[in-house]
Amino acid sequence: MKIGILSFAHHHAEAYIQNLPLIPGVEIIGLADDDRQRGERMAWQFKARLFDSYEALLAARPDGVVICSENNTHRPLVEMAAGAKVHVLSEKPLATTLNDARAIVEACNRAGVKLMTAFPMRFSTPLLEVKARLDAGDLGQVYCFNATNQGQMPRKHRDWFVDKELAGGGAVMDHTVHLADLMRWYLGSEIVEVYAQTNHIFHADEVDVETGGLLMLTFANGVFATIDCSWNKPPYYPTWGGLTFELVTERGAVMVDAFKQNLTVYRHDLQRPAWAYWGSDANQAMLAEFVAALREDRPPRVTGMDGYRAVEATLAAYESAKSGQPVRL
Amino acid sequence: MKVGIAGVGFMGATHAAAWAETDATLAGFVAETSNEAGRLAEQYHARVYPSFDALLANVDVVDICTPTHLHHEMTLKAAAARKHVVCEKPLARTVEQGEAMIAACRKAGVKLLVAHVVRFFPEYALAKSAVEAGQIGRPAVIRLARGSFRPKKPVGNWFLDFEKSGGMMLDLMIHDFDYARWVAGEVESVLAKSIGHAMADAAVDYGVAILKHRSGALSHVAGAWAYPPPTFRTRLEIAGDAGLIEFDSAATAPIEMLLKKPAADAPDVGLPSSPLSESPYTTQIKEFYAALAHDRPARVSAEDGLAAVQISLAAIESAKTGKAVTL
Repeated sequence: MKIGILSFAHHHAEAYIQNLPLIPGVEIIGLADDDRQRGERMAWQFKARLFDSYEALLAARPDGVVICSENNTHRPLVEMAAGAKVHVLSEKPLATTLNDARAIVEACNRAGVKLMTAFPMRFSTPLLEVKARLDAGDLGQVYCFNATNQGQMPRKHRDWFVDKELAGGGAVMDHTVHLADLMRWYLGSEIVEVYAQTNHIFHADEVDVETGGLLMLTFANGVFATIDCSWNKPPYYPTWGGLTFELVTERGAVMVDAFKQNLTVYRHDLQRPAWAYWGSDANQAMLAEFVAALREDRPPRVTGMDGYRAVEATLAAYESAKSGQPVRL
Repeated sequence: MKVGIAGVGFMGATHAAAWAETDATLAGFVAETSNEAGRLAEQYHARVYPSFDALLANVDVVDICTPTHLHHEMTLKAAAARKHVVCEKPLARTVEQGEAMIAACRKAGVKLLVAHVVRFFPEYALAKSAVEAGQIGRPAVIRLARGSFRPKKPVGNWFLDFEKSGGMMLDLMIHDFDYARWVAGEVESVLAKSIGHAMADAAVDYGVAILKHRSGALSHVAGAWAYPPPTFRTRLEIAGDAGLIEFDSAATAPIEMLLKKPAADAPDVGLPSSPLSESPYTTQIKEFYAALAHDRPARVSAEDGLAAVQISLAAIESAKTGKAVTL
């Protein structure tokens, strides 16, 4: 199974290129990047072949590609891959406009290639455990969620994360999709209404996008959920951020912290506590699923439509933040 | 200074213990339906009065610890009798009632002190003073959560009567609505949802509210009557543009009891609060005593109490209509 990586604009590519060879039978054919310098650096660092262009990589006939370009350039790369009949795993959010998200899904449908959206939380072992309890009926009927996906302002990873054009927005675009997708998965129900309030107080002088946000989602089955997507963690916080939720059911509540499996490490060189994660790698399981879907010729567990729905909710949040009232989907 | 307490439930008994730590004289109790008044009167060498009017005639200060819907009428009577009032939160069941209470006390020249005790809990007071001191910069996103089980009462459970208590959003979430406003200033709009308002027959209640403050800060307030007894848990997170404060009562509990039950059917032993040299209820009543006896300022005003009622009722209206409510 031959996999290529298109663009290292998203730093997750640096993890994926290390995850992929751990899957038996998977070979990385190489990478391509429209930022030539970055491409050369990554090819050297990860001892991978650098193709001159995306077209050249696709011409080498990989079975699948992982697309890690800026959020607003997923569409041209997906269309290029679909045109070459190559299966696609796209970084999240699938796109920054609904038009692009739809075009991405349709291009893959037309070409008959598989499209998976990179939602690693669907492969988080604590979250899978809760999902299993839910499906077994151990928790009873679900009423609501109180959820957070907070983090540090991500510019230290890449400048474009805080560029409105390239990223599609700030904290709301960065952090809404994971929980929106997780809740759709848990509930098997679609989001029908979104309310959001955003502000620009954290890092106000450094970035132009919203850095704080609180959302309220309502699902078709009546479940409601809040999401805190803020970039509220200071740069010296023990970790990058996290994803938590309280799931309230007829039987009480379940408190979940997806990234709690940490050591607390105190280091002279850092002069602050750091959390070292020892839980299972959700990225590894996500990539294994992409490869398995290709091998078994079946739809991946997370589809392009899942990516589309999450974008739809995120864009509704921006619309609501403007109007100050809930937006119906 | 003679103090009388109306209502002898959990809060009346708690306030009695707190008043006993001040120089005030605990003169007596009144309760319409409970024998508990006799026990408390005996404990504090005080009297049981046959009626609220009889209590009023014999005290300088009345401490109203009765169900929420009774606060209005009792406060108006106390003001008419020119007695100071300490009133348990929520100040009133409706905004109009709260306004009338404030007007009556002002006209009578008596003080009206609202028992928003969370402002006196050391962890909440410390977080507020850290923000005040600029330690975390300008507050941007605040998260407050308070959760327990549905209140239980042997008889007459008024907590579960929406007309009397206003339900979980007015009775429980008001604590954090008040605290959010104390930390981040006046509230401009509220959007809220709750299980109680979404489905009347649900076994638990849980509410969430998104507040937009005039300062630009946002607050997320969650309240639960959903956990198994004896759980009582609160959480706080105040994120500013120059720092972050985190608190979780479960994570800061200094005692964890891993004990075998003495008998299989014995209830779990719960610790209701963090061990402290002085109960926050006592800190609160001492400050109120100083306000009454020596005209010192208290950290919470009647207007604060009214504003907290306004936010709570806006949250309830939002939960009923599905719209964001502007204050």
